[in-house]
Amino acid sequence: MSAAGDRASADAGTPGGAADPSTAPHPPTRADLTSPRPVDDHPPTRAAEAGTLRRTLTALRHDPPAVAGTVVLLALLVVGLAGQWLAPAGINDVDVDQMLRPPSGAHPFGTDELGRDVLSRVLVAARVSLQVGLVSVGIALAVGVTVGLLAGWYGGWADNLLMRGMDVLFAFPVLLLAVAIVAVLGPGLVTAMVAIGVVYTPIFARVTRASVLAVREQVFVRAAVSIGTSDLRILRRHVLPNIAAPLIVQTSLSLAFAILSEAALSFLGLGVQPPAPAWGRMLYDGRGFITDAWWLGFFPGAAIFVTVLAFNLVGDALRDVLDPRQLTVSEARRSTR
Amino acid sequence: MGRFVLRRLLQSVVVLLGVTLVVFLLLQLVPGDPVRVALGTRFDQQTYDALRERSGLDRPLVVQYLSYVGHALTGDLGVSFRSGQPVTSIVLERLPATGSLSVTAVLFALLVAFPLGVLSAMRSGSFVDHAARVFSQFGVSVPDFWMGIMGILLFAGVLGWLPPSGYVALTDDPAGWASHVALPAAAVGLVTASILTRFIRSSVLEVLAEDYVRTAEAKGLRRRVVIVRHVLRNALIPVVTVVAVQLASLVGGVIVIEVLFAWPGVGRLTYDAVQARDYPVLQGAVLFVATLFLLMNLLVDVLYARLDPRITLR
Amino acid sequence: MTRSRIVAAALAVALTGLAGCGAGDSVDVDGDATAGGSAGGTLTAAIGGEPDQLDPHRTSAYYSFEVLENVYDTLVEPDADLKMGPALATRWTTSSDQLTWTFTLREGVTFSDGSPLTSEDVVYSYQRIIREKLNAAYKFATVKSVTAPDPATVVVTLTAPTPNLLANLGGFKGVAIVEKSNVESGAIKTRPVGSGPFTVASYTSGDTIKLTRNDAYWGQKPKLDGVTFTFVKDPTVALQNLRGGEVQWTDNLPPQQVPALKEAGEVAVTTTPSTDYWYLALNEGREPYDDVNVRRAVAFALDREAITKAAKFGQATANQTAIPQGSSWYYDYSPYRHDPDQARQLLGQAGVKGLTLDLMVTSEYPETVSAAQVIAAQLKEVGITVKIRTLDFAQWLDEQGKGNFGGFLLGWLGNIDPDEFYYAQHRTGGTFNFHKYSNPTVDTLLDQARTQTDEGVRKQTYERAAKQIVDDASYIYLYNPDVVQGWSKKVTGYQVRTDRAIRFRDVALAR
Repeated sequence: MSAAGDRASADAGTPGGAADPSTAPHPPTRADLTSPRPVDDHPPTRAAEAGTLRRTLTALRHDPPAVAGTVVLLALLVVGLAGQWLAPAGINDVDVDQMLRPPSGAHPFGTDELGRDVLSRVLVAARVSLQVGLVSVGIALAVGVTVGLLAGWYGGWADNLLMRGMDVLFAFPVLLLAVAIVAVLGPGLVTAMVAIGVVYTPIFARVTRASVLAVREQVFVRAAVSIGTSDLRILRRHVLPNIAAPLIVQTSLSLAFAILSEAALSFLGLGVQPPAPAWGRMLYDGRGFITDAWWLGFFPGAAIFVTVLAFNLVGDALRDVLDPRQLTVSEARRSTR
Repeated sequence: MGRFVLRRLLQSVVVLLGVTLVVFLLLQLVPGDPVRVALGTRFDQQTYDALRERSGLDRPLVVQYLSYVGHALTGDLGVSFRSGQPVTSIVLERLPATGSLSVTAVLFALLVAFPLGVLSAMRSGSFVDHAARVFSQFGVSVPDFWMGIMGILLFAGVLGWLPPSGYVALTDDPAGWASHVALPAAAVGLVTASILTRFIRSSVLEVLAEDYVRTAEAKGLRRRVVIVRHVLRNALIPVVTVVAVQLASLVGGVIVIEVLFAWPGVGRLTYDAVQARDYPVLQGAVLFVATLFLLMNLLVDVLYARLDPRITLR
Repeated sequence: MTRSRIVAAALAVALTGLAGCGAGDSVDVDGDATAGGSAGGTLTAAIGGEPDQLDPHRTSAYYSFEVLENVYDTLVEPDADLKMGPALATRWTTSSDQLTWTFTLREGVTFSDGSPLTSEDVVYSYQRIIREKLNAAYKFATVKSVTAPDPATVVVTLTAPTPNLLANLGGFKGVAIVEKSNVESGAIKTRPVGSGPFTVASYTSGDTIKLTRNDAYWGQKPKLDGVTFTFVKDPTVALQNLRGGEVQWTDNLPPQQVPALKEAGEVAVTTTPSTDYWYLALNEGREPYDDVNVRRAVAFALDREAITKAAKFGQATANQTAIPQGSSWYYDYSPYRHDPDQARQLLGQAGVKGLTLDLMVTSEYPETVSAAQVIAAQLKEVGITVKIRTLDFAQWLDEQGKGNFGGFLLGWLGNIDPDEFYYAQHRTGGTFNFHKYSNPTVDTLLDQARTQTDEGVRKQTYERAAKQIVDDASYIYLYNPDVVQGWSKKVTGYQVRTDRAIRFRDVALAR
């Protein structure tokens, strides 16, 4: 990795995890964005400190937006798991005589172009969104952390090669790359998860690498190295727990963006295929009826919005507590020269 | 400074090579025979043979890749499977639409974000500050295409003030262009605006905390003078670069909005290429956007090195 | 997938936009005589998508033909009633053995670039189609040779009598007469040169194709200065544009709004039955669909009215045979009614329980996706679980060719002769018989009908065949969609055609 990057993280003086201020290009997309924090906020965090969990929970409890976000997420989880039992009607109960009916007592969210109950479909579709979000971020996390660990720990050519690879992936606008990947693999649930996973991998690699670089120089790690502890053991026992905080923050924020990306792909008809319901897909199918049937455009979109908002609120709050000095990639750029 | 530029340049070249490799490999990922798949319903043996021959898929991978890069360097991105036209000219044709949409969206975003960001930083903790935070949280979380749909519903459907979609070239009919660009630009700009609001706010806050600002205030300069002369000037430097990068990312990143509003830009070109399985156009458009993106970033970095606050401060 | 299968599959699609010669109702909309028909002006037409390319012999997209209809000519062409009449050829004679046709070309016809159109161009065009096996090649199946004894004469010799030859040589612009130099330069893909009423002036990909009047046109001079085709995928937008006056014609109206639009009378909207049909085919090469009772059970389980409503918002007519009402070949036969009990009973007879149907549809034709969801709901009632598989069309065709499906939904567009409706689809081993239907009785009838010259006898033969096909539920026919088009009140002289050919040559625009 370039000297510029190393210097930047040193400048930031944040062992807990300056995001990699790599000189590679990156748009300040939503994924990079974390809310601004007062400069005089907290001291640098040592994530592995005892009581982190309790401290986190306590802090979150006193942050109303975070509480709201958490409540919404829990509700979503319930809906995601039990959607089909909560839904008042079957998701594919077609009734053409009831098509395009506005919201009413029988159908609180109205009916769609095939007379299906929109509320039921919105509820059941929560599972797809959560599933895609979790799996794709899981992929990004697994691959990204592995790459970041290897690059940060071993340095040298491995670092250079791996991180240049991540730079390359970072050079594409997120959705464009996802669309291109889906285009070659064919549309569907699995390819959407893979595509979104690939797209968000570099972020995790960078966050991990930057944290590893910082942890590597700590006394206890050096000590472990000097007494000949194996690399794998050091990484697992000492490094991973110490970089958990920035990863948790990144994960929660990435979930929001992964869900947005899935919705966008589905809206382009490249995600989940009918008759399975997905919020983005419902908007796509409802496009022809925007002006005739507002409820087809409104409710699935609102569901996406609320979900993403909840993840963002919780993610922001987590970051404030766990890793307040974590620089967003775009902000870290400023300390680079 | 010079060394930095040189190193960034070299890095960009390396990354760009990687980008060409990824774009090139996309075609290899197509399950089965990409030419066969691309032709799909338009299959006939002669077209197939011609396309196969022209795409050079029978040659060794390395040779194919080198030839792809070689051609790309001369501006030749191949020809469309579908129409037989050169990909480069197809992509360039779409630039005015995308460019005018992106620039309008960013201008709109600035118009909203600048006052909001500066005000909320100056009056940290005030009502404006809270409003700004709510706004930016909203903007970052809302899907832009949903905003687009709601915009169509309201301004085209209920009120009938604006056309629901479509495109008129700026050069053909400025008024027509303006009425068509309003909704998509606002939908895109909303997201950009909330990103910029946060950014401007934190940037201004940071400068406010700097020693020289405190010194200036201590010297008894009026707050407005301090703000305008010291704070804004220095706070805006990073903002300029972020705006530039935003602009670059919009060129390739407004696929969904372009599709929703039938805006014939690069994003929709990509989408149409996906639908038609026109792989050379897909590759060309993606490569073009990524290159543009890299160049903009390079430019921003170089500019930034020149505009560094510590230099302007003196 | 063998090559012939691939070509066959491609042909199935190439049929899009073919002309029909059934009894066509043409709708004269000239009645609104407010306009004095003052000449000039450019009409903007919104079509639902972008042509893939403008080479008439290579494209198979209907969007291309909407444009090319106004740019190219054919030797003969269908009139408003879909009877074949003169175009580039003014007259023709047939030898007594029906094997030699001699066409006399119109004098003084030129391409829009000024070069003369002669018999050599006709020979070149036809040979191009035949030799390069282009989309319309099958229309020349019985053509032995095409020659040009002199610049004004074309002689076509056949291997067998072909009563349909005129329809084959002029049914649609896929058999247009093209210019050799235009083809060889490759310009034909975006700047085709024809002899028709308009000529392509510019093509902005993703946006518009602009046509200007061809002043050298041999027929009556078009009144319009030009026609601009814009590609508007979203029907709501197309309608909005039509209302707003940005567009004066479109065939992409939101189906759910058509009845209200007709009533409102703000714009002219016309719906006319087309010759297309959509159907469900079950794979008879697979158990249990080889059992006629299972297929009939499915036919009884379907509520066609509901399917039609879901797929086309009522802009279609449910039908249990292929040929639409109004055609002279129409055969009124509808043995199936929506009867779940009957369906369950038939399934019981077949000993089938807990059946899962793998139903293949394609996003290329969204109405198949909609219809499939309704069908799934209806079949669920009789205990059949439907797994809908939505594929890209390329993939879809591949799976169809390989026989990897339990059933599929698709349509046939623009067929003309009953032979085209039945033979290739239902004859044992027929080119498009992907669902492996085989009934010797039907085979014999279809073979016989091919050679019968007496129209009455032929019709009877086809009716017997059709009855058997419907009874066997070889295809489970669903509906015939309507042609739906709308235009501004300023437009005069436009006629909706059942073959979906879009002709602007006689249209005027009031200002």
